[in-house]
Amino acid sequence: MANLRPLKALGAENPRYASFAALEIRENLDLALASLALRRKTVAPQPFGLNLPRPGRWVADQEVAAFWTGPGQWMVEAEGRAEEDFAADLKEAARGCSVTEQTGGWVAVEILSRAGTGPLDALLAKLINIDLAGFGPGRATRTVLDHMTCFVIRRSETHVAVLGARSFGASLWHALEIASRRIE
Amino acid sequence: MKAALVRSRTYSEVKMLIPHPVLGLRDAREFAYLGDARLIDRPDPSAPDAEAAFCDYVYLRDNPAGAHRELWFHEHGDHSWLVVTRNTITHEILGAELAHDVALARKRSVK
Repeated sequence: MANLRPLKALGAENPRYASFAALEIRENLDLALASLALRRKTVAPQPFGLNLPRPGRWVADQEVAAFWTGPGQWMVEAEGRAEEDFAADLKEAARGCSVTEQTGGWVAVEILSRAGTGPLDALLAKLINIDLAGFGPGRATRTVLDHMTCFVIRRSETHVAVLGARSFGASLWHALEIASRRIE
Repeated sequence: MKAALVRSRTYSEVKMLIPHPVLGLRDAREFAYLGDARLIDRPDPSAPDAEAAFCDYVYLRDNPAGAHRELWFHEHGDHSWLVVTRNTITHEILGAELAHDVALARKRSVK
């Protein structure tokens, strides 16, 4: 049983990273995720002081971020805490709500543009069928990308995150890598 | 002739946008189609004619050439059920509402 080395979600020993003319894409290993759902007749909590966002939105503060996933449902993100039991922490912070650990179910890919918003918009226009005029910073949605369901989060003008199911993480990486390479 | 051409295509080939009441216009390919929205009107199983009513509920469907109310599931989205009114001849989407709201309104009107 010696020499067992854990692989990352995308099948490599190190987190995947690729850099192209205008874009760079990076597997984000450290992002902890937990879903939060209201129970019937409960009011929306403010976990860690965060005001949970309206439909289609993403909000972030120092510690955590959250995006809307459905009526009365959110996904809460915590950067750098993937190896902790973040869901237990969230459950404490949102008493009376249903909290489910999600970190192990997803791969997160961060896409950054070094040349402003243009290349990123071009990439999104190619990959997802979402009206980009209404998809500025602070927006997040679930949609289809190359026949795969995923969450797309616009973290800033030049930064987008794509969350896909870990089971097809390699295919998602492939799709993002090929499309990013073709953006000049 | 034109209508027949349109009708012969599958949903995925027809570029349809569904006006989601919460999220705005969304690609129809994000949705899964279930069928007639009358499935919401489940008969009362304790009524004396329940067997006949359920037989109709399970097997009988109208097949209108025109406006049709049907259930769509936003699978690659917020997982809501919608009642979409669609013209079956032209595929024009005439409206969409949350099935949850439709069912609640129906419950209130029955009471």
